[in-house]
Parts: sequence; structure tokens; C-alpha cells
Amino acid sequence: MSSIPVDAETKVGAAPDLAAAARAQDLAVRLDGVTKRFGNTVALNDAWLQVRRGEFLTLLGPSGCGKTTMLNLVAGFLFPDNGEVFIDGALVTDVPTYEREIGIVFQNYALFPHMTVASNVGYGLKARGVAQREIAERVTEILAMMKLAGLEDRKPGQLSGGQQQRVALARALVIRPKVLLLDEPFSALDKNLRSAMQIEVKEIQRKLGVTTIFVTHDQSEALSLSDRIAVVSEGKIRQIGTPQEIYRRPANRFIASFIGEVSVLRARLERIEKSEAVVQVGAASITVPAGPLAGQSPGITVDLFVRPEQLCLASGDVALEGQVATTVYQGDHVDLYIDAPAAASTRILMRLPSHDRVPGAGATIGLAIGGHDATAFPAVES
Amino acid sequence: MKTQRRPFFGLFATPGVLVALLFAGAMVMVLQFSVRLQIPGSLDVGGFTFRNFTAMLHPLYARVFLDTLWLCVLTAVFSLVLGYPLAYALVRSRRVAVKSAILIITVTPLFLGEVVRTYSWVVVLGNNGFINSLLLDFQVIAQPLRILFTLTGVTIVLVHVTLPVVTIMLAAAIAHIDTAYEKAAESLGARPVRVFFTVTLPLSGPGIVAGLATAFAWTFSAFATPQLIGGGKVNMISNLVYQLGFGNFNFPFAASLSVAGLALTFASIAVLRLALRPLEKVGP
Ligand SMILES: Nc1ncnc2c1ncn2[C@@H]1O[C@H](COP(=O)(O)OP(=O)(O)OP(=O)(O)O)[C@@H](O)[C@H]1O
Ligand SMILES: [Mg+2]
Repeated sequence: MSSIPVDAETKVGAAPDLAAAARAQDLAVRLDGVTKRFGNTVALNDAWLQVRRGEFLTLLGPSGCGKTTMLNLVAGFLFPDNGEVFIDGALVTDVPTYEREIGIVFQNYALFPHMTVASNVGYGLKARGVAQREIAERVTEILAMMKLAGLEDRKPGQLSGGQQQRVALARALVIRPKVLLLDEPFSALDKNLRSAMQIEVKEIQRKLGVTTIFVTHDQSEALSLSDRIAVVSEGKIRQIGTPQEIYRRPANRFIASFIGEVSVLRARLERIEKSEAVVQVGAASITVPAGPLAGQSPGITVDLFVRPEQLCLASGDVALEGQVATTVYQGDHVDLYIDAPAAASTRILMRLPSHDRVPGAGATIGLAIGGHDATAFPAVES
Repeated sequence: MKTQRRPFFGLFATPGVLVALLFAGAMVMVLQFSVRLQIPGSLDVGGFTFRNFTAMLHPLYARVFLDTLWLCVLTAVFSLVLGYPLAYALVRSRRVAVKSAILIITVTPLFLGEVVRTYSWVVVLGNNGFINSLLLDFQVIAQPLRILFTLTGVTIVLVHVTLPVVTIMLAAAIAHIDTAYEKAAESLGARPVRVFFTVTLPLSGPGIVAGLATAFAWTFSAFATPQLIGGGKVNMISNLVYQLGFGNFNFPFAASLSVAGLALTFASIAVLRLALRPLEKVGP
């Protein structure tokens, strides 16, 4: 993965200019070139990150890429070996956690088991020396907002998983934190509850306008919740952008294959015209973003990354021919796994609405690529 | 059905059952001795009586019971106060050297025989002992301090006996506290001292209760320490039992003292647990 180009977004922080300084006021959190090592492991390697005020930013990446480490640096549970951390424009690299005014929801919620719901939620206010009456008011207010009214005197052990999560969120939010940190908060919930909580968290985040950094390795969760996604791998931020940008314009092969499902086809670069490139795949020619192919000369072989929903059945000038290996019924759609000898990946995945006529296993079919959302990268020698 | 699920149960349980029977037999013997008359000048015992138990109420004996209880309380409390910081450092220190040092200091006493350990304390605490020589040499005191044969001396050595176990029990309890609780408290703006008193300490509750109860019960049956360090001036129930049983050969009275002591241990621990119930309930 050493050939991955550093994308434009992450370079902004590397060379701060006047415009960046002006914009810095809108930044809730900034990591400037932080490096964190654990013995021989480099958990974060010169990572740059800028989180805008009020946005819901997701750190997405495979296990062990350094997401939790990044969150811990913002929280002050860890201190960087190199680089600086800013919260609300103030340098906090060496500031202890209890002075950072952050809210955290842990994966297991970490509700104080010996305190009632009300004491849990009021804990941060009490630590700040807020008057007893104001504590009571603010606790009541946030509990009502989190649909927890009436549970004030319960202990955490007497709450359901979803209620515990809401208490944890209320406890973090009642102090009006400068940034809310969520480390895989939904992973302990079952699937139905998880989607309900996702919607709820998103709603509350928008209502309060609290800057949120959310950590997950679940890409569908990241796509559905985030204002922006930062894709992390091997201790570096590889791309930052809206979910659409990340899904439709992945900056490199790693991101293209990590986010969403993808099949790789072999294609030939025809020409590059400004921001677009034309590639020839089978008998079809399609346009892709030129960015990832910059500097490549026409005629070379490229790998074309296509999403399952971009493929459609076709006859005539098809991009690819193949044989249906299996079909998997998914309710609203059908997944077709196709063997295509000409493709770079062994199996091609395509997705058809289930009310369409779906070819059965063994059928030979022609495929075309619709839309403009395919992306091409120079082929890697194997 | 049962033998099928646990095929070796009978085999493994047999030695345990035999030992238990033996103990039960001994207990029955002690119980029945405690309600017999002593026949002066003979090891045989006479008829049924409750006199042994009423005799215990004599201030001379009641005093020993009170001293025993007091020593148990002192030992349990001091073991807790000294053991908690040790246990905390043992669990939370990042430095291996610190951990090993604490572990060695706390665990070694467990491997010394009771008599050897107690005699070393005689050497340390005596009028010409280590502590007094040191204090005299540096002219902190003019006269040697009397520590040996006092309640203070006995307490010091009893704490030394219980400290390892209390420390290890507390360490186990502290190690079970998820650090996420402390991190959560800190993120909510609590400084380290507040985090400790509002989160760490309350969550150590079960370990504190177990440590106190163990130290208490263990001290109750102490023998060598009060015998050697107390030197007849500080007596606990076991010393009284020994004196009456093997000095005066009054087996019935010794037996009734043992029974009363046992009952008192059970009662004290029950009271202790009841008093500390709020602490014990705490926990994830
Ligand atoms: N306290 C630590 N001591 C040693 N190595 C650590 C420590 N914390 C993290 N690491 C290492 O640093 C790297 C990044 O860890 P981190 O916990 O940030 O990953 P992550 O992205 O949160 O992964 P996951 O999705 O599995 O939670 C990993 O290789 C991990 O083994
Ligand atoms: Mg993690």
C-alpha cells in the first residue's frame, strides 16, 4: 500500500496558509501531524484531521488502523509522540482529560453501577460545581429529551441495553461538551435496536448541533450517519469527504474496495481529457474520473472498480460476458454472482431488483456499465 | 443420572468427606466437653452443667473477649488502610519494578512460618531491638519505647500477618474495576482525587468487605502472635484456651471458651456483613 497517493484534503493541514488560519475558527477539533507509537507498533503515523464545528464526522477503517487511538488522543487518555491536538482552536496537547470539556460514550457505556440514572447524568455537572438546583433541572431536561423520564432512580443494572445507551449519551451531552466522542457505541446492540439508536443519535446530534467524532469499522453505518467520513488505514487518514464522495469517488484502491461492495474489471486507458478519462472495457467505452490515472499514458491496462448496482444486463456492445454462478434472493433485490474469465476479480457481483426477470444459474449473460460512477486505477503488477 | 454427568464425583469427594467427618467429630467432642463438669486433678469429666458458660462472664474472662474483639477491629482496619494503597499501586502501576517490589513485600510474610515471623518481630520491637536502638542512636527518644508486650506491639504484628491476604484480595477487586469507569468520570470533568473517591473506592466495595471480614476472622483465631508478642500481658481467646486447657488442664472450661469464641466470630462477621451491605451490593 506504499503507492497510495496522499489525497488533496489531507494536505491542507500540512501547509497551513492564511485561508486555513481564518477557517480554523470553524474547526472544533484539529490533529496536526500526530504520531503515536506503542513500542514497535506505530498506531498513528503523521495523521492530520480537521473536524468542523457541528459536523458528524466518522472515522472509518479496518480493525487496528488507529481509530480508537485517535479518539483517545482527542480525549486526552493518550498523549502523542509527535504533533499537536487542538480543541476549539486551543492547543490541548498536554491538557488533561478533565479540563478538555469533552463527552464520551464508551462501547460498554461505562455507566457508574453504584449510582442512579440521575446521579450518573448529573456527575459531570457536580464535578463542575454547578448548583444543586440547576443540576436537577438540567438532568430532568436531558432525560426528557432522551425519553428517559421516570427512570431517574433506577440503577444502570436495571435498564435495557438501549436505555443504558441513552443514559450514557445523556451523561455525555448534559455538560454541553465541545466535542462528542463515540467509539463503536452501537456494536453491543442487536440489529433492530442498533438501527433505531442510530437514527436517534443522529437526530439528537443535529438538534443540539454538537460536533461529533464517531468511530466504526462498519461501512454501512458510516455511510448512513455521517456528514463526512475520514477513511483511516495503517495509522493515516487516506481520504476525507462526504459519504457520496467516498462511495463514488474513492481516492485509491484500498478505499474503493473497503467501502461498499465492488468488482474489478480489466480495461484499457483510451485518453485523458481534463478531469475525465475514457477507458475501453470489452466492447464498451466509459468515462471515469481522471484523478487516479493522472500521468498515465494511453494504452496501459487499468483496473476498473464497479459497484454491483452499476452493472446491468445488456446485449450488443457489452463490457463483459459471463456465466451466472449463483443467485441469492435478498427480498427487495437479488444478488448475482457471475464468473467472468476476462475480469480481474474472480467473481463479479451484480444486483437486480427482485421484480425484474432474473437469469438463473448457468445462464450466459452480457453486462454493461451504467452511470458515471465507476472508478479506474492503474493496474498493479502481480 | 447424577453419576453419569459427573462420573468421578464420588471418587474425588471421598477424601473431602472423610476429613469433614473427622472435623465434625472433633467439633462434637468440643461441644460436649463444653457442657461437662471438671473433676479437679483428673482429665476425666463429670456430669452435665452450664457453669462453664456462666463463669465466662467474670470480668477477668470478659476482658479477654473484649480485647480480642478490639484487636480484631484494629487489625482489620489497619490492614485495610495499609493494604489499599499497596493493592492500588500493585494493580495500576505501569512500572514492572514497582509491581514486583510490592508483590515481594506483601507475599513474603506468607511463606515465613508463624513462629519464625513472630520471633523476628521480637527482635525488631524489643527494648534493645532494632527500632529502639535506631531511635536511641538518633536521639529521638531518651528511654526505649515499650512496644513488646503491649497492645500496640501485638497489633503491629497481627497487621503484618493479615496484610498480605488483605492486599491480594483488594488487588483482585481493584483489578476487576473496568478503567472505562474512571475514564468516563475524568472525561466528565472530575479531577483524579474526585475520580478516586466517587468511582474507584466505591467500586472496590466488595473487595473491602471481603478483606475486612477475612482479616477479622483470621485475627480472631491468632495464637502465636499474642502468645509471644503479648507475653501474657495481652491475651486473646486462644491464649486463654491454651492456658486453661494445658496449664490448668480444665478441658471443659477451655472447650466452652472455644465454643463461645467460635460463636462470637460468626456473630461478628454477620454484623460486619450487615453493616457493610451497601458497599457489597456495588459492582457491575
Ligand atoms: N495500549 C496499547 N499498547 C500497545 N499497542 C496498542 C495499544 N493500543 C493500541 N495499540 C496498537 O495500535 C494499533 C491501533 O490500535 P487502535 O486501538 O487505535 O485500533 P482501532 O482502529 O481502534 O481498531 P478496532 O477497530 O479493532 O477497535 C493496533 O495495532 C494496536 O494493536
Ligand atoms: Mg477501537
